[in-house]
Amino acid sequence: MKSIDLLGKVIEISHSNLEITSRINSIINIIAKEMECEEVALYTLDKDKRLTCRFTNSKSALCGILHQYRCHIGEGVIGSVAQRRAPQFYSRHDIPPRFGCLFYPELDGMLERYKTFAFLPVSDDSYIYGVLVVSSSTMETLHDNEKIMLAILSREIGGILRSYDLILSSTKRISELVTLTELGKILSSNMESHELLKNIALIVARAMNAAFVSIRIEKEALALENERFTYGTIDPSVEPSITPLEEECVRLKKPLALKDYEERVYGTRTSDFFMYVSPIISKNRILGTLLMGAGTPQHGMATEEDAAYLIDTIARYLSTGLETTLLNIRLRDVLKELGDAQKRLVEQEKFRSLGEMTASIAHEIKNPLVVIGGFTKRLANKVNKHEEEWRYIDIILKEVKRLETILNELLNYVKDVPTATDMCIINECIDEVLYLFAPDAAWEHITFIKEYEENIPPIKCDTQQIKQVFINILMNSFEAMAGKGTITIKTGHTDVHGKLFVTISITDTGGGIDPTIVDNIFNPFFTTKEKGTGLGLAISNKIVMNHNGHIEVHNKVGKGVTFIVYLPAKNTIM
Amino acid sequence: MGVPMKNVKILVVDDEENIRILFKEELEDEGYTVDVAANGEEAIAKVKKNHFDLIVLDIKMPGMDGITALNEIKNMNKNQPVILCSAYGEFKQDFSSWVSDAYVVKSADLQELKQTIKKILHI
Repeated sequence: MKSIDLLGKVIEISHSNLEITSRINSIINIIAKEMECEEVALYTLDKDKRLTCRFTNSKSALCGILHQYRCHIGEGVIGSVAQRRAPQFYSRHDIPPRFGCLFYPELDGMLERYKTFAFLPVSDDSYIYGVLVVSSSTMETLHDNEKIMLAILSREIGGILRSYDLILSSTKRISELVTLTELGKILSSNMESHELLKNIALIVARAMNAAFVSIRIEKEALALENERFTYGTIDPSVEPSITPLEEECVRLKKPLALKDYEERVYGTRTSDFFMYVSPIISKNRILGTLLMGAGTPQHGMATEEDAAYLIDTIARYLSTGLETTLLNIRLRDVLKELGDAQKRLVEQEKFRSLGEMTASIAHEIKNPLVVIGGFTKRLANKVNKHEEEWRYIDIILKEVKRLETILNELLNYVKDVPTATDMCIINECIDEVLYLFAPDAAWEHITFIKEYEENIPPIKCDTQQIKQVFINILMNSFEAMAGKGTITIKTGHTDVHGKLFVTISITDTGGGIDPTIVDNIFNPFFTTKEKGTGLGLAISNKIVMNHNGHIEVHNKVGKGVTFIVYLPAKNTIM
Repeated sequence: MGVPMKNVKILVVDDEENIRILFKEELEDEGYTVDVAANGEEAIAKVKKNHFDLIVLDIKMPGMDGITALNEIKNMNKNQPVILCSAYGEFKQDFSSWVSDAYVVKSADLQELKQTIKKILHI
């Protein structure tokens, strides 16, 4: 075959879409065949900068031996060719005494059959990829055109290796970018913070084909309820190492691999498991750590170096985004709370004006009602109780009474400012309320459990109004339990945003409130009772709010409701 | 209440005629002598002319309201017993209502009013 044909064939192969190893193997075999060389071997540079024989022609006699040895750049003939990036040609007669790593003891007696050796750097203009070794037993010496041909071919192989390298690193970069894009997407989504961190763990684990990925958030940094968000299953053999590894990483403010940690602590590596942790640092403050673990390398699994690189990159990326995102989430929550508060205010305002209107209507109704009721009573006195008319009169009187009750409660609701301010010891106040119920036979089947805190600070309040609050809540509990059950009353005091509050919690066993209506229970005229006016809790809420306090409702469906009344211990109203 | 109390004179002041009739009849049944007035001015005019053992005074009235009337009456005679009787209890907190001897919220059931009258008159 003419050199031009050989070159054409090699170029054709190198530009084909065959897989890289088949392309290189084909070229090596063509060189061996067409240039009458028994041995053609390609040494390539590994990540650790050592040269290894990875490819030989199919008929190679030496491949078994060559594959066993590796050499550094500069070491032996192959190493020096790689270092100088200049070809070297030898015949049997001028082989240097220290031929270096190619001539291992195992090769003794095998090299005599070869007459010429050629060592060619496989490189492009800027980078060395390996060394091509060619030897022939038939050619006494290589002609210049053959040397040139070999130089061209080795450069062609260099081109193949280079483009493969580029493809590899761009694939890596692309997958890195994809991962970062995915992370960016969820960081800017409006996901809830726990969900967000779980998803980050998931994305990282998938990108790295890891057995598990665990994000730990420093409590003081972001005040989340959970501190660990893990995707995948943590291998029990490494589980005890996770926390010490993370803590060491936080201490050093540097990424750390399990093997390095073990070597430092135990002097030896005790686990084969690959685990790597990188700190998430924002403005010199540690937000948390990102940790990945992988067992035995599987297909598609990134190498340890790649994994470490990617974890570091992601941790850095998270550093900038995570704090902002988590703060945004919190801001959103606060905004939502503010929105809710505003909504409540609007509601209150609505009910206030509604209340005022209702009050003026109620005024107008009250007088005629008194007249109707009063004269009906007079009529009743004139009618024999056995006559049918008396039954009608009785109905009128009952209905008038009902209307009067509604009107009175209505007006109570509209009343807004507490007027009397007494010093009230809340435990005594509650006992006085309970004393009201004590003689009532209807309350026979109610058990009261009192858990009073001693020495509660007194509160300044309108005691009558506050008693009304407890009466209303207790009545509500009574009705929720259909007159049978346990009411637990606890008193205490607590600090809310730096202000001292006395708390009174009243818990019933009435099965709780339907969650769909729990938001409505303080709305005036909202009732689930057949006979209720829907004002009891509304009034209670209003009274407590007028005292600068608030009522909390803890609803346990199937169990019962707890109303907690908060009243300021140092009341400002006066 | 069969005890004859014709000698006890009560003035009922209310702008609503039917309330006046109701109160008058109910209190007369109790044995009192009852006179009525439809507003503050009329009440004061009557108080100036006659002696009343007790005045039942509505608050919300056109013209002179009950609170103003109360003050004028008490200025004239601070020992004059007056019961304020309003549709609602909102004036209970009004300082100017405190000079009255009692405050009764109007109700179809006149028991509270009747009992308060007895208490004030020590009957």
